[in-house]
Amino acid sequence: MTLVIFAVLLWVLGFGLNVMLANGPARDTGAVRLAVPLIFGLTILGMWELIVRGMQVSTVILPPPSLIAASFAENLSTLWGDFVQTILKGALSGYIFGCGAAFLTALLVDRSDYLRRGLLPLGNFMAALPIVGTAPILVMWFGFGWQSKAAVVVLMVYFPMLVNTVAGLSETTAMQRDLMRTYAATWGQTLWTLRLPAALPFVFNGLKICSTLALIGAIVAEFFGSPTLGLGFRISTSIGQLDLGMVWSAILVSALSGTAFYGLVALAERRMTFWHASHRGDR
Amino acid sequence: MKQTWIAAVAALGLASPALAADEVTLQLKWVTQAQFAGYYVALENGYYDEADLDVTILPGGPDIAPTQVIAGGGADVIVEWMPAALSARENGLPLVNIAQPFKSSGMMLTCWKDAGISEPADLDNRTLGVWFFGNEFPFLAWMSQLDIATDGKAEGSVEVLKQGFNVDPLLQRQADCISTMTYNEYWQVIDAGVDPSELITFKYEDQGVAMLEDGLYVLEENLEDPEYVDKMARFVAASMKGWKWAEENPEDAAMIVLDYDETGAQTEGHQIRMMGEVAKLTAGSNGALDPADYQRTVDTLLAGGSDPVITKEPEGAWTHVITDAALD
Repeated sequence: MTLVIFAVLLWVLGFGLNVMLANGPARDTGAVRLAVPLIFGLTILGMWELIVRGMQVSTVILPPPSLIAASFAENLSTLWGDFVQTILKGALSGYIFGCGAAFLTALLVDRSDYLRRGLLPLGNFMAALPIVGTAPILVMWFGFGWQSKAAVVVLMVYFPMLVNTVAGLSETTAMQRDLMRTYAATWGQTLWTLRLPAALPFVFNGLKICSTLALIGAIVAEFFGSPTLGLGFRISTSIGQLDLGMVWSAILVSALSGTAFYGLVALAERRMTFWHASHRGDR
Repeated sequence: MKQTWIAAVAALGLASPALAADEVTLQLKWVTQAQFAGYYVALENGYYDEADLDVTILPGGPDIAPTQVIAGGGADVIVEWMPAALSARENGLPLVNIAQPFKSSGMMLTCWKDAGISEPADLDNRTLGVWFFGNEFPFLAWMSQLDIATDGKAEGSVEVLKQGFNVDPLLQRQADCISTMTYNEYWQVIDAGVDPSELITFKYEDQGVAMLEDGLYVLEENLEDPEYVDKMARFVAASMKGWKWAEENPEDAAMIVLDYDETGAQTEGHQIRMMGEVAKLTAGSNGALDPADYQRTVDTLLAGGSDPVITKEPEGAWTHVITDAALD
């Protein structure tokens, strides 16, 4: 019980410290901006540890962060193998193929109204396919390796990317396009200098949505057949052994890589759409 | 504090209006099928009612780990395989085997004969399908006994696939061998049009690495409560009565199982055949765990290669308290 009281005390302490920092003279410095969320996160972790120990919650229900950290540190090489298999091979390759294909399709759709009417509903249909139905079939088609996981990811990311890119390409006004015409610009030149830049915010929206979808697809697809490594494999196998430390470590790896993946796309967006209203204040 | 916590969890699990009969929730390891016929027969034929029990049977499935269900208070007793139960015990969930209706193991490896496999040593340098989720332990123990690594296809090693819940990897020859149960998947291969003469099977039972399958497990702390022990004794006695009836009346037992299959996925022919095969595995067990079988399972697990399932000899992982009372 004392541990639970400590947890409450820790909360009050962390909260007080954050309020003090956020209202203090240094509140606009980078260090404080970084410190406030860090203190918040550490407080939550500390409370988690104290409450789980104080209430004697079974580790099977919720292991304390210290146990997860220990299990993470112990199995670094295993988790690295899982990361390479699921994130780099499965999710990333599927993401590149899927988003690339969707982007090219969007260009085609943009050129031809026939395709717009024919392909978009088909894309919608593909997006509505449930992953639990398609994953076992794709495993049958493409084997147990990362290729079938990449295929699931392609199916998952294709439509959001397509719709976003198509919407982005119709973002320019008639006046802007007319101007390009008066310059005697070809379709390619108009695309490159006017329409693609205008479409970029939409394209990046699609890329950001797909970055998390790709991860989910790659992990869930492993539940339906996989070699003996990968994050999805690790999670489902460790659950069967009730090795919850390992399950949470695998979840931690997915969360970290998902955040990093999203962060990289967001960073690229900032670099490339610096002119956009939503980013002007950043500079 | 610990007691109130457990009480709270137990109260959540059993929060329903008080009935005269004692309530028991049983979590199965897999979907409703003849593998669990004894329990359904006991329910249907009123053996549980006679024992003043109100039994709820929860079917399992690919995404349900019975050990997790009992840890969360969702069941009073679970059907589980011993390796998974012992692994859970070592990971902080004190499960105890109270009864063992299955005497023999039904798991085997089914291979294509024309792949050139005729004895266990031929498995080297092949691609093999294995179930995970706690069912991989007998396989790993066997490979370690054969001195074959599981690091990929190479001399002295095999490529292991985590097979799903169908037999496609074998039919499509993505794997040379897959895991099957004598009472289920083997027949799915046959039903797919494969002649038994095209196949060669290795039963874990014959290879000396068989582990105890479907047993009944409960949480250790509950066994300190005499009322709970009494309730479980009645439950085990009624369940075993169901099992013995099912062994003698396989066709009727299969039909009872079909009636309880809410998914409608099971077929009559398959269930009757399954019941026939399951009866061979339950034969010879009166419900009480044979300590020799237990010891063989533990020894095999402890010898389990580089990544052992359990690292130390479990203590108190089984008890005869319930079966002694039940079979009196």
